[in-house]
Order: sequence, then structure tokens, then C-alpha cells
Amino acid sequence: MKSIRVFLLASILAILTLFNFVAALQGYQSSLLEAEKLFDSQLLQTAKLIANLYVDNTTSNLNYLSTHAYQVWHDDQLLAASNNAQSEAITDRYPGFGYANFDGYRWRTLAYFDHNHDNWIIAAERTDLRFILAESVITKAVLPIVLGIPLVGLLIWLIIGRGLKPLRDLSDQLKNKQVNDLTPVETPELKDELSQVVQSINVMIRRLGTTLEREKRFTSDAAHELRTPISALKIQLHNLEEDIPVDNESFAQLQSGVERMQHLIEQLLSLYRSTPDEFSSHFTSVNLYQLAQDVIAEQHLIFEGKNQTLALEGSNNVIEGNAFTLSTLLQNLLSNANKYTPTGGSILVSVDENNNHICLKVEDSGPGIAPSDYGKVLERFQRLNNKSEVIATQGCGLGLTIVQHIADLHHADLSISPSSFASGTAFSILFKKAPNPDEKRI
Amino acid sequence: MFLNSVVLILQETLEAALLISVLLVFMRLRCIRPFWIISAIAAGSAGAYFFALQMASISEWFDYMGQEVVNASIQLTVLLILAIFVAQNPGATHSTSKPQKDLGVIICTLLLVALSLTREGSEVFIYISGVIGHPSHAQPTLTGSGIGAGIGISAGVLIYYGLLGLPTKWIALSGLLLLSLVGGNMASQATQLLTQADWLPYSKILWDSSDGLPENSILGHLLYALFGYEATPSLLQVFSYIAGMLLISLCAHLGSRKISFSTDQKTTDHNASVNR
Repeated sequence: MKSIRVFLLASILAILTLFNFVAALQGYQSSLLEAEKLFDSQLLQTAKLIANLYVDNTTSNLNYLSTHAYQVWHDDQLLAASNNAQSEAITDRYPGFGYANFDGYRWRTLAYFDHNHDNWIIAAERTDLRFILAESVITKAVLPIVLGIPLVGLLIWLIIGRGLKPLRDLSDQLKNKQVNDLTPVETPELKDELSQVVQSINVMIRRLGTTLEREKRFTSDAAHELRTPISALKIQLHNLEEDIPVDNESFAQLQSGVERMQHLIEQLLSLYRSTPDEFSSHFTSVNLYQLAQDVIAEQHLIFEGKNQTLALEGSNNVIEGNAFTLSTLLQNLLSNANKYTPTGGSILVSVDENNNHICLKVEDSGPGIAPSDYGKVLERFQRLNNKSEVIATQGCGLGLTIVQHIADLHHADLSISPSSFASGTAFSILFKKAPNPDEKRI
Repeated sequence: MFLNSVVLILQETLEAALLISVLLVFMRLRCIRPFWIISAIAAGSAGAYFFALQMASISEWFDYMGQEVVNASIQLTVLLILAIFVAQNPGATHSTSKPQKDLGVIICTLLLVALSLTREGSEVFIYISGVIGHPSHAQPTLTGSGIGAGIGISAGVLIYYGLLGLPTKWIALSGLLLLSLVGGNMASQATQLLTQADWLPYSKILWDSSDGLPENSILGHLLYALFGYEATPSLLQVFSYIAGMLLISLCAHLGSRKISFSTDQKTTDHNASVNR
């Protein structure tokens, strides 16, 4: 039942048709019986008329009636008969109605005894003509019921459409609501059946607004409350660095732990910031190639630190997106490649056009990921490599989750595959190409 | 003319409507687009027209028993395809709403609808074209045909929505029950036609219920169209009816077992790999 309107129309029309047509059939059968009685009554009147006319010797006037036949009997003597009647008695001379076959037709017969003259009047009428006449009259009465069904269907369709209009208006209003529009739903013509639904939707929108507001406040508070003590902690660590020997393992671990905590907080906040839909409502044209150049320029030091080769290929390609989140996406991918590519390894970033799509790809020559683990790497707080490597590389397992999130916000597809190097992984994000400015104008 | 038209068109329409509505329900369960049924209806209508045109020459086949033999063959083919259809467990629902490209189910559905309509529709074509030639018969014939078709199609629509309105676990079961009745009906009608053509021997009449429920009453005609009701069925007809029902039920049972077995097998394999 995909469409309420189709379901209501089909089922109501089917029930109406079924009951109307069965009633019409019943009416047809009852009408036929009534018509039979009427014709019988007419036949009786004809027999009586013949009885009276015979007295006046004018029965020959009735001979033109080919649909009727008659005989007038006195004892066993046939006194008069219509041309189409046989010489034998059409039916037994017992009073009442019956059927007989003669002259190539089936006839309804009536034997009537005229007490005034002691004559038997046998009148007969062709049943086929009776039936055709009766059927013609009755089907004329039934025909409007059959012809009326399409009209009834059209009326039901329009009435259901009118009845469902408030629901359609509500649906349109919800569909056209902007992602950041948390104002209550208002319908000018609110039906009783929908008022509860609209109330529930408005309560839900209000709760959603409160929750989003609380989350925004939390981000702002967390950014301030968490970053400040960590910055203070890092200053204290920097001061301590001069008093503690360089090879102090505990101090090195403490430093690493603080770094990891700062990274974790930054990633958590970044994940939150890219969650709200409002980012997608403010897309601008972003040149992915230039963005990649900028991000690489910002981050080249960490690659130099590990003596890694970082290359950028491709050409200027523009997509509709949010520059801030896209740079976060690329930073995370590069950071991931940097962490898992061994010293002296290679990383390749490419921006290519492919069938009206722009593919941003980051490949590394690291150990690679087993295809069965591709899904796991996108889960939050997942780090797949063996423990020693995990400890050695700084991270919290949120980077690729954020990448997936940002790709979703841009309606882009993230895929993981083996890299073009001898080993390693390639992360590809397929964006829809921004429409040509000329096309936009059209 | 009016009543004859109602009865004939109602019988043919109701028989087709029952089959099509149940098949539509199964297609809905399998998330297959109803476009296929619409194509099959178009193909069946065209087939009915050409079958009706060729009926005169077909009737001369097999010592002038061509019509009976060909109709019986179509009915037995429909029974066979129905058995193959239910053996594919058409009632297995898919959690996803994505259309399932289940070729076997689609092909069986196409053939079932097209063949049934070819047979039923040809009789309608022959009847209407024969009667409508007389001007005095045209109005009662067309009015009666309209009423017969209206009742048949309405019953089909109500069967369709009635089945879909059932609790999910009963939909497929009720559909299969109706299909088994259709199967029994096909087998019984084919036996009757082959007996008329002297291809099968006459057997004794098992019972006579014409006093309680005459075949030529409206209810009798309805039950004939829906479940192949006969007031005076022969032993062979009853036997073939039961055999047809059993064939469909057995194939449906085997189809559902096959699916559950393969599901169990997959679960076992999965568990084994997890344990490793």
C-alpha cells in the first residue's frame, strides 16, 4: 500500500462496484419475475378480450398479431384460431398458465374458460419476444449503474485527494524545511486527525532544538575548558624539559600522552563540528587541487620528519563544498598516511575528473589493510595495526571516522582499495563535480 | 443475453483476477515491480485475440477436439508453471525495499498471467464477437459484460488488499493456499476437457449437489470460477483436483525447506568460521 490515495480509491471503488453490480443482478432477476407476472396478466386480459370479441365474430382482427396466437374451443370443436396457431389444442384445457412449443418458437400459454359461453380460450405469447422486451427495459435501468462507475471513481479520486490535502501540505512543509529551520510546523487548515501528529512533530523539533543548543554550548565550553588546561600542562612540560634528562623514558611517555590527549580533544571537537547539517547548507565552490596544495604546504614538515616523499598529481577541479571541513578531511587522510607509512616511504595525492565526478585519492606505501578490515577502519576508535605500531603512532582512531563523516556531508562516496604502490592503502573520495558556471546561468 | 454475458465474463475475469491478485501479492513480497504483470496482461490480451482468431482452425485438430485438447494443455502448463513458481518460495520476504531481480519468479509470473489470459480472454473475445453482431443483443451483452468484469475485477482488488492486510506471517501462507486451489481447479478443468475429448475415460459421478447449490446459480458460477466447483463431479475430476492441490502444496513445502536449509547452512558455515 504505497499510496494511501490509490489504496482508498481501489478498495472503495471495488466494494462499491461489487455491491452495486450484485444488487443490479439481483434487481435484474427480481425485475424479470415482475415482468413475467405483468406479461401473464396482459395475456389473461388478451384471453378475456378474445372471449368477448369472439361473441361479436370479430376475432379475425387479431390475426395480425404474430407475437400472439389464440384458439377458441367449444368442447372438442375448434371455433376460431389465429393464423399462426396449429389445428390441435396448443395446450391442455386446464385453466392456468403453461408453456408449449409450436411454429418454431417457445410460447407462454394460458387456458381460460369462458363461463358465459362455455368456451375455452387458449392464448399464447412468444417467450423470446417477452424476454427481449423485458431485458431491454431492465438493462436500460441497469446501464447507468455500469456507466456511472468511472464517474464515481473520478469523484472518489478527487474527494480522497481533497481529504488528504492537509497531509500532503504537512508533508511538503516538512520536506521543504531548511536543515537549520527549527521553527514549529504550522498548517493553516489543521484537521482533528492531524493535530496530534503536528503537535508531536513540534514537540520533537523543540526537543531537537534544545539538544542542538546544548551540544553547541558543550562544544564551546569543552573547547575552552579542555584546551586551556592542556596548554598550561604543555607549558609546564616544556619548562620541565630543561630540568629532566633527555633520555628520561617516563617524561617522554608523559609528553607523548599529553600530545595524544590534545589530539584526541581536537578530533572529538572536529567530529562534532562536522556533524550538524548546517555545513552542507553553506556550500561554496572549492578547487580541490588548490586546497590539496595548501594542506600539503601546511603539513610538509611532518613528512620531511620521516623522510617521506609526498607528491600531488592532477589538475584544477572544482566541487561544491565546505572548504574548512574539506581541509580537515585532507589533513586527516595525510596524517593517517604519514603515520602508517614507514620512514622513507611514498605518499601520493591525486585530484582527477572521472565521468562528471571528481576523485580525490590519497595513496601510501605503508603495510596496507586487509580487505576484510576495510569496514572496521571507519569505525570510531578503531586502530587495526598490531600493538607495537599502535603505540608508536600517535592517534585516537577517530581520523577516518571524521573523513567518512565529511564525505557523507558532501554526498561523496569514500572507498578503500590497495594503493598503486607495491603495498599500502588508497583512500578515494568521489565528489560530484560542481556545475559549470555557464550551465548554472542556463 | 444479459445474464449469460454476466456469467461468462464473470467466470473468466474472476479466474484471472484471483491468479493475478495472488501473484501481485507475491511480487510485492519479493519487491518486484508490478510492471512485469502489466506487460504480461498486455501479452496475454494480444495472445487471447490471436487465439480467438485461430479458434476455428484449432477446433478442427484432433478429430474436431482441438479446442478441448489445446485448452486442457494450456491449463496443465499453467499448473506446471505454478508448481515451479511456488517451488521458488515466492513468499520469502526481503528486508530491503530494493527491487530483487529474481528472474525465476518473474518469468513464471509472466508465463502464468500471459497463458491464463490467453485462454480466458479468447473465450471472452469469441463470445462477445459472436453475440454483438445482433443489434438487439449488443446492449444487454455489453451491459452484462461490464457487470461481470466489474464484479470479477473488484473481487480481485479486494483479494489483493485483503491478503496484504493480513499479518505478515499469514500473507504468504494464504497466498499459497489460494494458489493450491487454483492448481486444483486447473487440473480438474483439464481432466473435464480431456474427458469431453475422449482422451480420458468417463468415470462415475461421486455426488450430486445440484439441489443444494446448482452450478447455474450465481453462487455456483462464482464458486466454479474461484475453486472449480462442480455440482456433479466425476471420480477422475475429484482425484485430479486433489492431485493438483497436493502438487502445489508439495512444491511450496520443498521450496520453503530448500531456502531454510541454505539459510541454516550459511549460519553453520558462519559459526564455524567465527569459532576458527
